[in-house]
Amino acid sequence: MEDDFGTTFTSAVHGGLDKILGQSGADAVLMHMKMTNNLPDPAEFHRKLLALFGPQGTLSLERAIVKDLAIRLRWSLSVLNIEDTFDFSATMRALEKGVRS
Amino acid sequence: MPPVQLDSPTWSAGSGAEDLIETRIASVLGLKQFMQGPIRTLLIKGLAGTGKTTVALEILKAAGKGKGAYVSSRVPLDLLETHIPAMKETLHNQEFLDIRLEDASSVLDLIMQLTEPKKFRTIVFDSWDGLAKELDQRERLRAEKTLMALAHNSGAQLVFVSEEPGATTIDYLVDGILELVTVEEQDRTVREFIIHKLRGTKIPQRKYIFTLLDGKFTFFGPYAIPDYGKVSKIAQRPDIGESYSFGSGALDRLFGGMIPGSTLSIEYDENVPYSALRAIEYPPIINFLSRGRSAILLPLPGANDEIINSILARAVGKSVVNDRLRILNILRTSDLETASLPKNATPQEIHEIVTNETAGLRKRSMDKTVLLVKSVSALENLFASDLDSLLEVTSQEIITLQQSHDAHILFLPKDSPIRSRILSMSSSYAKLFVRDGTVLMFGVKPHTGIYALQHLEDPISPSLTQLV
Repeated sequence: MEDDFGTTFTSAVHGGLDKILGQSGADAVLMHMKMTNNLPDPAEFHRKLLALFGPQGTLSLERAIVKDLAIRLRWSLSVLNIEDTFDFSATMRALEKGVRS
Repeated sequence: MPPVQLDSPTWSAGSGAEDLIETRIASVLGLKQFMQGPIRTLLIKGLAGTGKTTVALEILKAAGKGKGAYVSSRVPLDLLETHIPAMKETLHNQEFLDIRLEDASSVLDLIMQLTEPKKFRTIVFDSWDGLAKELDQRERLRAEKTLMALAHNSGAQLVFVSEEPGATTIDYLVDGILELVTVEEQDRTVREFIIHKLRGTKIPQRKYIFTLLDGKFTFFGPYAIPDYGKVSKIAQRPDIGESYSFGSGALDRLFGGMIPGSTLSIEYDENVPYSALRAIEYPPIINFLSRGRSAILLPLPGANDEIINSILARAVGKSVVNDRLRILNILRTSDLETASLPKNATPQEIHEIVTNETAGLRKRSMDKTVLLVKSVSALENLFASDLDSLLEVTSQEIITLQQSHDAHILFLPKDSPIRSRILSMSSSYAKLFVRDGTVLMFGVKPHTGIYALQHLEDPISPSLTQLV
C-alpha cells in the first residue's frame, strides 16, 4: 500500500507541477531538487519549492499537486481543505494515512 | 574626400564618460527602476542586426561586476567577443553560460541555479525564442510563467532577447518591452528604439534614436537648446589646405572645409530649432573673424541682432565684431537703419548694398576674403511677391562669388519655392531634420553618413555623432 501511495504521490508531483509549470518546468524543478527518481519528502519538497518560487508560487504548486493526488486516489477535495490556510506536509500525511487505513 | 572621422563623441576621459552610458540608459528606460524593483522582466525584441545584444549587454554591465549572467543560446563567448569587441570587458566581468545544445528543462534548471542563491541582479537570456520555438504553445507559455515566477521570487532581473517581431506569449508576461528597429532616412540607416511597455515607470517619450558607434549603445534624447551664457573665447582653427575651416572640427570633418568661391546650402525642416542651425551658422563666422577675415550675416528670421552681437563678441571680442562683421537684418525697421537699407528695397538694391558692404569689409580682411552667411527664408519673406528677381540676384551672387575667394553659406527652408534652383547652383548641400526629437544632419553633396547634432562641448560648436 505504501509503495502504491509513493508511486501515486510521485505521479501527482509530476502531474501537479506539469499543470502549472509545463513538462519542461516540472522536469527542471525535480532535476534542480535532485528528486527525479526519489520519492520527495513533503517537508523538504515544500522548503525547496519555497526557495525557488516563494510562498505564493509554492502554494499554487502544492495545491495543484494535492488536487492531482486527490483525483488519482479518488478523494473528495472538500475534505482536504486546500483553499484557506494550507499545510502541504500535513495534507500529505493525512492522505497517506487515509490510504493506509 | 577621405572617410569622415568625426569627433568621438563627445566625452573626454575623466569626465565620468565611462558611466555615461549607464546613466543615459537609466534615464530613458527607467533602468534605475528596473534595477531597483518594479521592472523585473524586460523583453528586448527586434529583427536581426538591430542592436539587441549590445543593448542587453549594456544593461548587464549596469548590473555591476560579477552580478550579471549572460545565457547564450546563439553564440559562444569567443564569437560574441569578436562581434562586439567593445563589450569584451563586460562579458569577462559577468557569468557567461553557453546553452546552445541544452534542452528546455536543463535551461530552466540552470535559471533556477542562477536565481535561487539570489547572487545575480541581472540575467540576460539571448535569445529566449531560439529555445521557445522548440516548445508547443501551451508548453512555451508555462515555461515562460515559470521564468517569471523565478524572477519575481529571486529579485533578479531577467532580460529576454527575442528576434520575433510580432507579439508572442511572453509580451503579456514581462514588465517591460523594448523594441529596436532600423529605419531608412534618405538612403541612410537610422536606429530607433521604441518603449512599448514599462510597468510602473513614467514614459515621457516612447521613441528614441540611438547609435552603435564604437560598438556601444548611445541614445539621443530630445535636442536641448544650448546655454549661450557659457560662450567663451574660442580658439581659431587653421585653414585646411586651400579650404577655410568651418571653425568646428566636426563640421570640417563632415564637409572637408569650405572651398574658396563655393556655396554651401543647408536645407532644414520647419521643426529644426534655430539654435541647431546656429551651430552651423556661428562657428564659420567666428573662425573667419578670429583669423582676421570679415563676414556678413543675414540672420534667420526672428533673430535678435543684439543677442547675435553679444554671443559673437564673447567669442571673438567686441572690437572685432564691430570692425569686421556686418549683420543685415532686413525685416525690421530698426535694422533697416542699421544696415542702411531702404524700406522698399528691391532684390537688386539689396544685392548692391551687400556688394558695397562686402567691398568695405574686404578691405579690412587680412587676406581680402569675406564669408557671406545668409538666410534665404529672410529674403523670401521680404520678396515674396518677387521671387524671380530674388532668384536672379542670388544666382548672380553665387556665380560672382565663384570667381572670388569668398565663401558662401545659405540657409534654405525645405519648403522654399526657389529650393531646387538654389541647390542646383550650390557646390555643397546638407540637410537637417528632426526625428524623435533629435536633430539629424547629413551631407547630400558630398554624400556623407548621418549624424546626430548636439551641443556637448560648448554652446556654439556642434557635436556630431555618427549613427551606425
